[in-house]
Amino acid sequence: MKSEISRRDILGGLGAVMAGLATLPLARTAKAAVQKLAVSANAPKGYDPTQHRWVMGIDINRCIGCGICVEACKTENHVPMGRNYFRTWIERYIITKPKPGTGAARGEVLVESPDGGMHGFSDLPVPAADVLHSFFVPKLCNLCEHSPCVQVCPVGATFDAPDGAVLIDPEYCIGCGFCIQACPYGCRFLNPFTRTAEKCTLCYHRITRGLKPACVEVCPTQARIFGDLKNAPPEDPIRQFYQDNRVQALKPFLGTDPRLFYAGMDKEVR
Amino acid sequence: MGVFKMPPQIVRLVLLTVAIVGSYLMARTVLTPPSFRQYGWYRGEALVELASRQIVFAGKPACEICHDEEFRKLAKGSHKGLSCEGCHGPSQAHSDDPDDLAVRPKKEPFSTCTRCHEFNVSRPKWHKQIVTRTHYTGDKCTDCHVPHSPTEVP
Repeated sequence: MKSEISRRDILGGLGAVMAGLATLPLARTAKAAVQKLAVSANAPKGYDPTQHRWVMGIDINRCIGCGICVEACKTENHVPMGRNYFRTWIERYIITKPKPGTGAARGEVLVESPDGGMHGFSDLPVPAADVLHSFFVPKLCNLCEHSPCVQVCPVGATFDAPDGAVLIDPEYCIGCGFCIQACPYGCRFLNPFTRTAEKCTLCYHRITRGLKPACVEVCPTQARIFGDLKNAPPEDPIRQFYQDNRVQALKPFLGTDPRLFYAGMDKEVR
Repeated sequence: MGVFKMPPQIVRLVLLTVAIVGSYLMARTVLTPPSFRQYGWYRGEALVELASRQIVFAGKPACEICHDEEFRKLAKGSHKGLSCEGCHGPSQAHSDDPDDLAVRPKKEPFSTCTRCHEFNVSRPKWHKQIVTRTHYTGDKCTDCHVPHSPTEVP
């Protein structure tokens, strides 16, 4: 039986396919334009991520452990209530007196963070007389220059934005949890409602509008300092912070090179 | 010797390879979002999407537009560095519609003061702290202190 498809048919079909392919770039441009229109309705105008470099500093000597920052972060970013979900939290370090006769300079190190410090800290787990010293350490995304969380993401959902924020694309995140495992600072969690990874975005919707992140905004003692290294004048709080303090990053031996710096940090903080 | 003729199995192999690579390239073009590699190996649109979220805390400058009286009071005292919304709560909704009573910040309870000023051994020494039980047996902190200017006696 002779085939019904002639050479002419095949060539014609091929031509049609080629013509169809030629319209693809056009369709893509149109799609991009429509998408842009759809997402930028509420977006801040005139923000160019390549023109900023956001950094944060924390002065441990100024933190009073009130937990207003933790609460504000949860409210601003709609972080689920519950004791396992925090974009920022406060830890209390308690260093006890050394046991008599040991010759050590300091005793045990206790770390606690009840409800992320959201409702403050009340009772000491040890008798007050045994405490050598105690202090609060606010924690959040360490803004690594070489982020382990970005390296492990299998789908390109988490990334280092050009302005220094380490962000998650919720549309792309598949909730595999690799990044949660990878973060050496424990700054990520899986949102139980969206089933995507979540972390501090430096309040990206606020900083792009010229506001401070919510935790920095509400901090009553200015323990949190936030600024734009690319545009900060010399009298800017972030420049003053670097000038006035000897700063240190968490876990420097990991080579993550954090851009979140702590002033007045004890060697036990990790 | 005649002219070289491409063996048919090679022709088929080449065509198949072209078809596979071609369909991969086509699928990639169609499925990759247009903004994917705009800044790097991620969707550039994600930045805009994250930036479009709604604000909850209005920020201190927004409060000053209407409440400049309180600001003058605040600027004189030791609470001058405080943010309004640290005590009064998130106020973007109130600043959008000042007349809406439902979203107006509430009167602050006693715990607003003690949250920061109750004595805690972990708090730094420079911070003013009290033990409520021995400090005052009365009803309210505002009996003796003006919150916007703490050293002033009402």
